[in-house]
Amino acid sequence: MRLELRRGCLTLAVLTQLRTECYGYTLRKALADDGLEIDEGTLYPLLRRLETQGLLESQWREEEKRNKRFYKLSPDGDKILHQLLEEWERMNASLTKILQEA
Amino acid sequence: MSTLNNPHELIERYLQSVRFWLSMTNEKEGILAELSDDLRSQVEEKEVELGRALDNHEVADILKRCGAPMIVAGRLAPKRYLIGPTLFPIYLFVLKMVLLWIMVPVFVFIVGPATLGSYHGDWRTAFAVTLGNLWSGSFVAAGIITLAFAVIERTHTIAQVECKWDPMNMPPVRKYERKPSLLQTACELAFNFVGLIWLLLLPHNPFLILGPAASFLKAGPIWHTFYIPILALAVFGLLRSGMTLLRPQWTWWPALGQILHSVFVLTILKLILDAIGSTPDGMWQPFVVLRQTSVTAQSIRVSAIVNVSVLFALLGTWLGLCIAIPIHTWKLMRNIRLERSNGEHTAPVQAL
Repeated sequence: MRLELRRGCLTLAVLTQLRTECYGYTLRKALADDGLEIDEGTLYPLLRRLETQGLLESQWREEEKRNKRFYKLSPDGDKILHQLLEEWERMNASLTKILQEA
Repeated sequence: MSTLNNPHELIERYLQSVRFWLSMTNEKEGILAELSDDLRSQVEEKEVELGRALDNHEVADILKRCGAPMIVAGRLAPKRYLIGPTLFPIYLFVLKMVLLWIMVPVFVFIVGPATLGSYHGDWRTAFAVTLGNLWSGSFVAAGIITLAFAVIERTHTIAQVECKWDPMNMPPVRKYERKPSLLQTACELAFNFVGLIWLLLLPHNPFLILGPAASFLKAGPIWHTFYIPILALAVFGLLRSGMTLLRPQWTWWPALGQILHSVFVLTILKLILDAIGSTPDGMWQPFVVLRQTSVTAQSIRVSAIVNVSVLFALLGTWLGLCIAIPIHTWKLMRNIRLERSNGEHTAPVQAL
């Protein structure tokens, strides 16, 4: 149950974070700094899945003498993210209401 | 273990192990490059934090946190299915159909009798050979079906099939009658009771089974041996029906009682069939014999016909029960499964 809840939140967090271009490690670090720890085995497959779905774009570039894969939100990903955030806010509001009533 | 020249060699070794476990995929190099960069970035960050280079143990700690190469490779590799969740229910259905409703009947009704013929009636060898062939044949069939579905999964054929269906054309809801009706159980009880009385009267009233032939035929000595077990069987049948009538809430009992009854009958039949063939002179023990006062050509012929008919009836019953017992067992298992699933559906939601 916890995993299902986390999976959806992670997708939303990753898409939001990738409004600014970054590569895997910096993305992982940024999420961890905001309190959302995510291991390599979860993040990289998620990034590839989101890219296959057309929500992300990636590019290999050399930086600090190493090849790094930079990810950023695609135009389609941007539209989807807006829809998801609206959905998230609606759900959050409903859940808060339910919790207050209980 | 060879010595490490520098901590970065440890990362190379780690990546090599992950590469070994990664399946052949176009993304393999990309996955490894990303992992390599992630690990090296972690090492560099730690080095900046400590103001010195990391030693082998510190790098090993980072790798340990990342996980065993085999597990990491499994997480990083794209998810692949031999048979995916869309196809799996169809695969399972086809597998069950082929194994249970094609393979088993073909072997029981065609291959088994043919094997029995080729082994000149040696039923033990024929049974073992048929069972062995059924076992290996089932594996081959399951392998072919699995392979066919794996090809369909791989080629995405199912995605191209237009699924045409109309809710109006769906079959009507089936009603599962798991509990026998009261009338059926009462009839069964009455029939078993009459059967028991008939059996008790039989020793002194042979015409009840032989009819007019009782004037020149009588039961063979074999029945004296097996009369009590047959009587016990009839009593068990009566108790079984009584239990079904008195305890209708025991939904598992009718099927279990049927299985026990069938096994009881099968055991007695086996003993009878063994006993009739095991005489010292090698002759078969007759089921009916002539009364000494009535030995005529016609009565000998009638006696022979009755003996052969009883033998065939017993063999037929034996075969029928061999088929019926697995069916009753399957029904019992299905009932238990349905009961459990009903219980789970009606129970409060605790899984959360």
